[in-house]
Amino acid sequence: MFCSCPTTGADAPNTHVCPTCLGMPGSRPSLNGKALELGLTIAKMLKCEIPKTTWFSRKTYFYPDLCKHFQITQYDTPIGEKGVYHLGKKPIRITRVHLEEDPGKIKRVGDGSSLVDYNRSGVPLVEIVTEPDISSPAEARQFLSELLTEIRYTIDLPEDGERSVRCDCNISVGTERCEVKNVTGLKNVERCLTFEAVRQTKLLKAGRTIERETRHFDEERKVTMPARKKEYEADYGYIGEPDLGIFHIARIAENIKLRESPLNMASRFQSEYGLDERTAKQIVTTSMKLAELFEELIKVSDVQTAKTWITGNISAYWKGFEPSDEEKKDLISMISDFHTGRITDTECNIRIRSLMTGEGQKEMTDSAADLDRLIDAFIDENPSVVADYRKNDRAANRIIGSVMKQTGGRYSSADIVDATRRLMDARSQRSDA
Amino acid sequence: MTSEISLKDLKELDSRYNIFTSMTAEESVDAEFVFSAKDNLTSKDFETRAGSRILEGYTPGFDATPIRRMRDAGGFLAGKTNMDEFGFGTFSANSAYGIPRNPFDTNRSCGGSSGGAACAAAILENHVALGVSTGGSISCPASFCGVFGITPTYGRVSRYGLIDYGNSLDKVGILSAKAADLTKYLPIISGKDHRDPTSCVQPDMRRSLRRIRSVAVPKEAIDGISEDVMKSFESALELLRSMSIDVEYVGMPSLKYSIPAYYVIATSEASTNLARYCGMRYGQQEGDLTLKFDDYFSSIRSKYFGDEAKRRILLGTFTRMVGYADRYYNKALQVRQVIIAEYKGIFKTHDAVLTPTMPFVSPRFDDISKMSALQSYKADFLTVPPNISGTPHLSVPCGYSEGMPVGMQFITDHWNEDLLLSMATEWENAFDIRHPEVKL
Repeated sequence: MFCSCPTTGADAPNTHVCPTCLGMPGSRPSLNGKALELGLTIAKMLKCEIPKTTWFSRKTYFYPDLCKHFQITQYDTPIGEKGVYHLGKKPIRITRVHLEEDPGKIKRVGDGSSLVDYNRSGVPLVEIVTEPDISSPAEARQFLSELLTEIRYTIDLPEDGERSVRCDCNISVGTERCEVKNVTGLKNVERCLTFEAVRQTKLLKAGRTIERETRHFDEERKVTMPARKKEYEADYGYIGEPDLGIFHIARIAENIKLRESPLNMASRFQSEYGLDERTAKQIVTTSMKLAELFEELIKVSDVQTAKTWITGNISAYWKGFEPSDEEKKDLISMISDFHTGRITDTECNIRIRSLMTGEGQKEMTDSAADLDRLIDAFIDENPSVVADYRKNDRAANRIIGSVMKQTGGRYSSADIVDATRRLMDARSQRSDA
Repeated sequence: MTSEISLKDLKELDSRYNIFTSMTAEESVDAEFVFSAKDNLTSKDFETRAGSRILEGYTPGFDATPIRRMRDAGGFLAGKTNMDEFGFGTFSANSAYGIPRNPFDTNRSCGGSSGGAACAAAILENHVALGVSTGGSISCPASFCGVFGITPTYGRVSRYGLIDYGNSLDKVGILSAKAADLTKYLPIISGKDHRDPTSCVQPDMRRSLRRIRSVAVPKEAIDGISEDVMKSFESALELLRSMSIDVEYVGMPSLKYSIPAYYVIATSEASTNLARYCGMRYGQQEGDLTLKFDDYFSSIRSKYFGDEAKRRILLGTFTRMVGYADRYYNKALQVRQVIIAEYKGIFKTHDAVLTPTMPFVSPRFDDISKMSALQSYKADFLTVPPNISGTPHLSVPCGYSEGMPVGMQFITDHWNEDLLLSMATEWENAFDIRHPEVKL
């Protein structure tokens, strides 16, 4: 947040450190402008009010993972306040979004002692605080899951690396709340909240009161344990951080252009292209690049064609295939060729598969020939199917079902359907003649 | 051009005056000039302890920017000068490493907290000393030791490598027996440094120095001044008038709030800065490791911090506490703005504000030991106002009382150090400066 140390890829503990993130006497913080920009992007995405100016504060407390024994964070001027996030139709109010530096990491070792790794010390952290608008552990999980998808896309965060999410879960079933600190993983958030809800309800039913406290979640035993009495924020003796000064952020925020978030895009797909909700969400959650390709394909064909290919084979091969700009162009021209009738759908399929899976075209054609042989064999063994097909083309389904079972997913259903129809049409014509 | 500079008297002088907390073993060096740095500026080649036992054995991994810039200009760092622990004091009597002695009378104080720096500037030949001021720690010892001391505008000199006292107040400056040194070395240590963002908003320093033509003397500043200091100050005013500088008395009613506001801001910031010294990453590590971590931290801090450091940590922690922050810390920040506004008002019609530097000449150590903490805090009432407002100021010797130097202090508007530099030279030519007798 305030130095230039890398945030990921450390070979060993305490290697990504410098005088500033170790808090050496005489060292000074210097704001990482990119971290500020990303924080503002998130604040903007959450529709927060962004103040004209912001500054940082010192939060003083003694703990071994904090080398200066004060954390540089934001207290009275967070970069965003009073935002909102829509979980479906339900608004979840955002209290504040602020930036701060992460402390180091304590590692307990066997003999009752602990080691501290300061690689994480000084890593930029954005804290998002909601109002108490979430009404169930499942909703909390869903909220986090959607929020994270949105954030990852909005600030273009790669999936890999050590970027992590920790959640402080506050819950009350009566009037006083408890905070479960540093819960990692969505599943654990839901579990810990469920555990707390039950624990607090039991206490109240037994006529006991709930004390405001900080708890931690034991991932192994799946229970929460008291950590310490909860301090109120003002107990930390905040003062402004004099080394950093005041930042004029209104203009920076204005110049930030938000990318359309996945869920916004999904709802636009529904209204603009008439997609059903499931399909729209499926496209954007598979990949935003896939969603972008979908719109490109519409331009060269039509919504139905684009949808069929995008949710069909292109989706099927997507995993493990990130098309380059060049490959994207190829895909678009294949669909365009198909749409104008220059190639058949079998040819188009073969080309797409070849492009996306790297299998050669010849192999493709060969395997198509294999498929033809299998279908022919079935028909030879069940000659009545040809007559049935002439009465009702649904008879082809018998062949398709059997071949699909036989080939166990080696061929796409579309390929099998295409090949069966082609061969059956040929045979029924022959027997016509 | 470098030349052979002898350092052979250094050890002898140090044993007599307690100038250094650590110093070079060289007897002579090849350098353009020799300088010293206050013990709270980090340097790779010397222990840096900021006058505190808690930092014993700490040798930093990097040079403070002002030290690096002096070295780059051909300077040789002779040693780290003695000081009050973390800058907490007016007499350098709060050092864990002996008390520097006044070159004019070894039974008296050098002033503080840059006491060792002022002493070095007064008695070492051709020596320039880097000092640090938070609430007057350059002006006060310059005045007591009869040397020039310039404290630049807050943000003029990078604080990278300065062990913090109060970050919104700390300034690195220069002490020397010669006015020309201020003009020569201040531009060397000044300038933007990306490692200290507060240094990056400064305008360039003027190369052609303007002259001070008018000074304003606040009436509030001459209340409570000892008679001998007042006498020297008044004759200095006469001399200024003879140099065709207008002298006018003005009112600055907000000055009386500067001491309480200063101590609130400075101790609030200090109490957070000193939190890192607890025997974990920083500070002595010889405590009982079987204790719980917070008990262990307390044991180290109790043992190795001096009394004044503890007092200021308690004060600063109190003023940041729930229910008190608005009453003290936030109020003090507002007072600072009021004081700055009052200075700005004066600078519309006057080039500088002028006051005595200290209300008395350097006191004897036996008198200092009888002073309460509050009495010594109050002694800073003339040096604190320009420090809390971040305005540059210069202390020059302006008289002598029973052989002890008296100082006066010019204050100019932010970034107008050039006025002070020209004044130093002008004053050096007009006033008969005495030097302490040092027999070897």
